Amino acid sequence: MNFDLTPEQMLLKDSIDRLIASRYSSLEKREAYRKEPLGFSEAIWAQFAELGLLGLPFSEEDGGFGGGPVETMVVMEALGRGLSLEPYLTTVVLGGGFLRHAGSAEQKAAYIPEIVVGNLKLALAQTERQARYDLADIATTAEKTDRGYVIDGQKSLVLAGDSADLFVVSARTSGEQRSQYGVTLFLVDANTPGISRRTYSTQDGGRATEIEFSGTIVSTDAILGPVDGGYPFLEHVIGETIAALSAEAVGAMESLHQLTVEYLKTRKQFGVSIGSFQTLQHRAVDMLMALEQARSMEMYAAMMVGSDNADERRSAISAAKVQINRSARFVGQEAVQLHGGIGMTMEYIGAHYFKRLTMIESLFGDTAHHLHQVARVGGLVAAA
Amino acid sequence: MDLRFTEEENAFRDEVRSFFRTEIPAEIRRKVSEGRRLSREDYVISQRILNARDWAVPHWPLEWGGQPWTPIQRYIFTEELLQAAVPLPLQFNCYMVGPVIAAFGSEEQKKRFLPRIANLDDWWCQGFSEPGAGSDLASLKTRALREGDFYVVDGQKTWTTLGQYADWIFCLVRTDPTVKKQAGISFLLIDMKTPGITVRPIITIDGRHEVNEIFFDNVRVPIENLVGEENKGWDYAKFLLANERTGIARIGLSKERIARIKRLAKEVPVGTGTLWDNRDFRARVASVEIELKALEITQMRVVATQSKTGSSKPDPASSILKIKGSELQQTTTELLLEAAGPYALLTGDQIGAGPNEPPGGFDWVDAAAPTYFNNRKVTIYGGSNEIQRNVIARAILGL
Amino acid sequence: MKLLVCVKRVVDFNVKIRVKPDGSGVELANIKMSMNPFDEIAVEEAVRLKEQGKVTEIVAVSIGPQQAGETIRTALAMGADRGILVKTDATVEPLAVAKILAKVVEQEKPDLVIMGKQAIDDDANQTGQMLAALLGWPQGTFAFKVAVGEGSIDVTREVDGGLQTVGLKLPAIVTTDLRLNEPRYASLPNIMKAKKKPLDETSPETLGIDVSPRLKVIKTVEPGGRKAGVKVGSVAELVQKLKVEAGVL
Ligand SMILES: Cc1cc2nc3c(=O)[nH]c(=O)nc-3n(C[C@H](O)[C@H](O)[C@H](O)COP(=O)(O)OP(=O)(O)OC[C@H]3O[C@@H](n4cnc5c(N)ncnc54)[C@H](O)[C@@H]3O)c2cc1C
Ligand SMILES: Cc1cc2nc3c(=O)[nH]c(=O)nc-3n(C[C@H](O)[C@H](O)[C@H](O)COP(=O)(O)OP(=O)(O)OC[C@H]3O[C@@H](n4cnc5c(N)ncnc54)[C@H](O)[C@@H]3O)c2cc1C
Repeated sequence: MNFDLTPEQMLLKDSIDRLIASRYSSLEKREAYRKEPLGFSEAIWAQFAELGLLGLPFSEEDGGFGGGPVETMVVMEALGRGLSLEPYLTTVVLGGGFLRHAGSAEQKAAYIPEIVVGNLKLALAQTERQARYDLADIATTAEKTDRGYVIDGQKSLVLAGDSADLFVVSARTSGEQRSQYGVTLFLVDANTPGISRRTYSTQDGGRATEIEFSGTIVSTDAILGPVDGGYPFLEHVIGETIAALSAEAVGAMESLHQLTVEYLKTRKQFGVSIGSFQTLQHRAVDMLMALEQARSMEMYAAMMVGSDNADERRSAISAAKVQINRSARFVGQEAVQLHGGIGMTMEYIGAHYFKRLTMIESLFGDTAHHLHQVARVGGLVAAA
Repeated sequence: MDLRFTEEENAFRDEVRSFFRTEIPAEIRRKVSEGRRLSREDYVISQRILNARDWAVPHWPLEWGGQPWTPIQRYIFTEELLQAAVPLPLQFNCYMVGPVIAAFGSEEQKKRFLPRIANLDDWWCQGFSEPGAGSDLASLKTRALREGDFYVVDGQKTWTTLGQYADWIFCLVRTDPTVKKQAGISFLLIDMKTPGITVRPIITIDGRHEVNEIFFDNVRVPIENLVGEENKGWDYAKFLLANERTGIARIGLSKERIARIKRLAKEVPVGTGTLWDNRDFRARVASVEIELKALEITQMRVVATQSKTGSSKPDPASSILKIKGSELQQTTTELLLEAAGPYALLTGDQIGAGPNEPPGGFDWVDAAAPTYFNNRKVTIYGGSNEIQRNVIARAILGL
Repeated sequence: MKLLVCVKRVVDFNVKIRVKPDGSGVELANIKMSMNPFDEIAVEEAVRLKEQGKVTEIVAVSIGPQQAGETIRTALAMGADRGILVKTDATVEPLAVAKILAKVVEQEKPDLVIMGKQAIDDDANQTGQMLAALLGWPQGTFAFKVAVGEGSIDVTREVDGGLQTVGLKLPAIVTTDLRLNEPRYASLPNIMKAKKKPLDETSPETLGIDVSPRLKVIKTVEPGGRKAGVKVGSVAELVQKLKVEAGVL
């Protein structure tokens, strides 16, 4: 048993922590990045590339640095602490994940080096309006023709979909609408004719896109992984993404908790710091406990996400998401409450952590969804 | 013991219910129900319709437009109003400054202000909180120095709700800095057009302009705008805050939201059915409804006690209503967030050109998260829930 | 040209320091430690000189406990070529540090030593100067800019009210000031490379240096809290207060 980071992981942590601390040192800076054309800082993205972060999870043969889930966790925590807006999760963890697990040698060679240097951004076009959290509920179709495949359908909530150059698109090539069999993944250039995008800003300062594919033609080279066999990859890569998102949540909770404790020490009412009220002390302690519970499950997810036992992996990821969601909600709500009025304002960075944490809850499965997943397989402890 | 209303009470309920649902514009009620922003005009229209029926200020003294209603009727009235998603008559006017002027103001002030307050001819805002005086309100620093026939006011108020719309502000100001902090406070009425007043917006977490900071720089206020006696303002403020807390449980509002959530859940597709087919979700809604029912009965018990004793003195039990009621309001917004699911992520702000369609194909999801965010305030303002618990511990438990 | 750069492990500059209850020093348990910021500047300058082709090898030296090895790793990940850890758990005072470094210099024979002007933990600002004295080398302290020539180095120094440039004959000692450069973040490829770079270990005993302390810490106290400000009504009042109460005019 060992929960320590290796010296290299510590160096990585040091680098990314410091980069984020300096680039995201104030809410004003974050607002300025948010107002850039792509909704994040391209300069920071370039710096991520320079530091090798965009190549983190790819193998060395593919042009990356061979990092695993723990390295990703280290990076995502830092991004969470700073409330970073850069599309790391979508490009490197999600998009990169599909390339790593399902990409052919040619696809890897074509795209990974471009990701690593910061030239290519990816997004996943998967969710559909009727699907809610069911990954297999895919109505978008890909029809085989002599020219390749023709994709038709609507995709929703494509995170960072407006800045993406390349989409991973899930479409049905056979099977019923909610069947796991018959889903095929495609790598589709964002500029392919027959794609229209509508982008919304999200509650947490990011962006999400609604995409319509109408008669979008892609060649057979675009197929990612086996025809009709895309579902297991969806599940696996989204599992990895949940683990990464958990780390982001822990980073955000850590910052928010720290802000709250500082505030309790400095805010004075009734002639004393409000942190001297025992009831508020206990609340801050409960927040710490929620944070530590979340941290444990974040680590659990990072350690289990690579497991070959798919059942075990699934339950672990769902269990982690439940704990993360619960802690995120608790820490977020308590932080606002303990700040009083100031916690309710856009001028205060704490409020933005609260919003991001709230949105993390609803991404890739809310508490009810994942609780159901864990319960469905009989929980984590074997029955006596 | 009997839960049922009398026949007269039932008739009264039907009367107000149908009035709310037929007379108040549906568009305004839709905005309230969906948690959309109301314009100043929306508040004015709605309140004037009520006032034309003599129902804007039914809880005021009869001579100033009150109704001879029993506490039970008042309760029915407010609950029906909330369940019909009618905007509550402007709180600052009807539940705060109006009752204070009616109880402690001069005849001159009553004549001058009360009818305009009831008709929302003047929009009032509440200038109590300051940067350094929130929960510890009595430590407020804004000072008013007597100079001949004027008070000269200097200082800053904050969190002033809808101050951007206000014609008048009622303020707690320090008129005697030499005595115990509660003893040197006065209650002043200030015309917002007086030179020296600056209003700066504060944008709240849901992205709206709901509160403000108000700065007073050498603001000259005629002494006839003092309410009651100088340095007695704290008593009036306590009277006002107690009024603010009664009826704050907002059970009708939570009921209205739950009813709406059920309707929406029947529209949200999940698998082959809808969210409403999900038993876990239904159980969570039911569990909130049960707590709400318990609170409703608690509220009725308080109302019944009031009608029996005829006392309108605020009950410390109103703190229980405030705590539980505000927490339940927040819980209902959590259900709303859950109903919106992943679509809660989207705002209605579309980036770039194109037809402005509702995000995700649902015309309500973009307001779910802001409603949830905004409702965090209900456990903070009007005396935070921590302060309410302190009140209960002291006043009820004797700790 | 070979370059020696000295790196010290100190409490991270972001950490709010707390004094131990007995006043014997500051709390170090469970506290984040990092490379002294001035030393980072030193490493950065060394790496830049190497990138300019002026330096062929950079050796990073740290004196401290086993964990000081991590600080050397950081230097290696920034671009230093190899490390030497002089391992000791004792508190090492500036003079002892200077003696150890002098010994290392003797063995390594660098042409240039770059180090921070001071460490943010004890703020001594002595080691560089002492090392120069022990070695009899010229020194350019508080460097704002360095330019390496043939067998010489020009060091522009930050001095009160301006800059001063001194020309030194190599070998020499340079101590860095805040504005010399902005240190880089270690990149992933360099972190991976650092893993394979050699890190040798020695100790004061092996080097024959006695590190027993000559100074005694009598007391450590927290800085006093900031006093509340006062609002003045006019410029005249301000001037009056500055003269009479603050005594600064
Ligand atoms: C089943 C059982 C087995 C035990 N076995 C042993 C044993 O083997 N050996 C032994 O020595 N003792 C034993 N104890 C005693 C136990 O350690 C004490 O009960 C405990 O320390 C609490 O003390 P108390 O009962 O006097 O409660 P009190 O200290 O009077 O506490 C009463 C309540 O006040 C709260 N409280 C007290 N101070 C504060 C504060 N500063 N802030 C907030 N809340 C506060 C407490 O949390 C508690 O809720 C046992 C107790 C139980 C119930
Ligand atoms: C949206 C919104 C609208 C508002 N509108 C108005 C308005 O129109 N007019 C107006 O005058 N004010 C208004 N307020 C102000 C509101 O009344 C204050 O925010 C409230 O009194 C809390 O004060 P504070 O924000 O300074 O928090 P603080 O008093 O600093 O409280 C911070 C935290 O400490 C807790 N705390 C403080 N003291 C104690 C204690 N003794 N024991 C335990 N816990 C304690 C609080 O509960 C809170 O959790 C509004 C506030 C909000 C958020």
